[in-house]
Amino acid sequence: MSNLLLAADSPLGHVLNGKSMWSEISWVGEIGDVASLHEVMLVLGGILLVLGLMFAASRIRTGRDGQGNERYVTRGRLAQIVEVIVVYLRDEMVQPILGEKQTRRWLPFLFSIFFFILVLNLVGLLPLQDLHHFFGLHHFLLGGTATANINVTASLALFAFVAIQVHSFRELGFLGWLDHLTCGLTKGPKGLWLVVPIVFAVEFAGVFIKPVALAIRLFANMMGGHILLATIIMLPSMAQLGLEPGSGAWFGVSIATGSFAVALTFLELFVAFLQAFVFMFLTAVFISLMSHEEHEDEDHDVDEVAAEVAAIH
Amino acid sequence: MSFAILLAAADGAPDPMKLNLWVAGTALLVFAIAFSILYFKVWPVITKGLDDRNDKILGEIKAAEDARSQAKQALSEYEQSLAQAREQAQQTIAEAKAEAQRLGDEMKAANERELAERMARAKADIESARRAAVADIHANASELAAAVASRILKREINPADQAGLVSEALGELDEAGV
Repeated sequence: MSNLLLAADSPLGHVLNGKSMWSEISWVGEIGDVASLHEVMLVLGGILLVLGLMFAASRIRTGRDGQGNERYVTRGRLAQIVEVIVVYLRDEMVQPILGEKQTRRWLPFLFSIFFFILVLNLVGLLPLQDLHHFFGLHHFLLGGTATANINVTASLALFAFVAIQVHSFRELGFLGWLDHLTCGLTKGPKGLWLVVPIVFAVEFAGVFIKPVALAIRLFANMMGGHILLATIIMLPSMAQLGLEPGSGAWFGVSIATGSFAVALTFLELFVAFLQAFVFMFLTAVFISLMSHEEHEDEDHDVDEVAAEVAAIH
Repeated sequence: MSFAILLAAADGAPDPMKLNLWVAGTALLVFAIAFSILYFKVWPVITKGLDDRNDKILGEIKAAEDARSQAKQALSEYEQSLAQAREQAQQTIAEAKAEAQRLGDEMKAANERELAERMARAKADIESARRAAVADIHANASELAAAVASRILKREINPADQAGLVSEALGELDEAGV
């Protein structure tokens, strides 16, 4: 397997996007990289997501009246896993931040983006490209982690950005949105007007920095993890360059790196869930920051600061 | 090939930060389509299923609480009625005891009264009988005395003598305490 990885020339070569077999089809190739690996994985992930969640929803759905209490029971492991995740994230994570009303409004978007990222992360863990090599299929058809592509994460962050701003304008209005970007300082003492431009510039930059940070965080974590994993797996092949193949030292390096790679794969599995959660959770936090409650808190803080300034004078 | 060669090969690898509008557009399109389907076909079903179950559980809990409350109230009413019945029974028993006592006292008083009356009547009867007996004794004694005296004196004693002798004898009897 490590030799297969070595065939990719570098750890980056194994992780980065590449052309799929479909790219070699003439009419597809003519329109560019339409059928790159990550694009194929995006489509595949989207199909798996929709089919999987529709299947889970059909199992979670309330049954017929004649079924008694059984109509409320969720059957099937996939549906139960989805239900546990949804209930936990909704009740323990999102609802404490957004409140019940906003949670109901934003739950479809937040959970769609969570499961979309999760599916892409998990599918990316499957060694599909390596299997193609193993079975002699040298044209890449499938494989790769689409969320390790900055273009994909940026697109998802664009959705988050739109969601945050839609919520902001709906909750605060345009003037409220502007006021929010000044942290309510315009309502404070006149002296604070001096810092309003600075605060506004920082907050306005923050409007864009937040989604950019979302994109880079997801991309960097998925890319970094896969590069590390690929590097570790490639170590035996690298050792083969300096050590005699089949020697004790070579076996030792291979077993050690193989074990470490297995452990790292479990870590990657955890990271797949974690990064999906972090993206969704931070989006929820950013949405909640642009709500009336937060705004009122800021006004309160400004009032406190103004009172302290007045006391000093 | 050495590690340095591998690193050198990495230099020719694609730039991970390279902008690719096709990939970005695909991501936008795929997520938009997936989100649209999920928004209308999945999340309403899942949230409704969860809400229905939640409502069912809350309804069952409320029904159980209501039933427990009703049972508690029924138990309280039962205990209250039991206490009332017990109190009523105690009261009835006390009243019965008082009535029995009263009747007993009345009967005792009536008996005592009747006994006293009977004793008085018996005493009176005895007294009258005694008096009659004494009168009979007096009569018989006077006749007997007259007869004895006649025999002794051999003569007839007239009633005036007889009355004088009787009175004298009775006077002696009275003095003798007969």
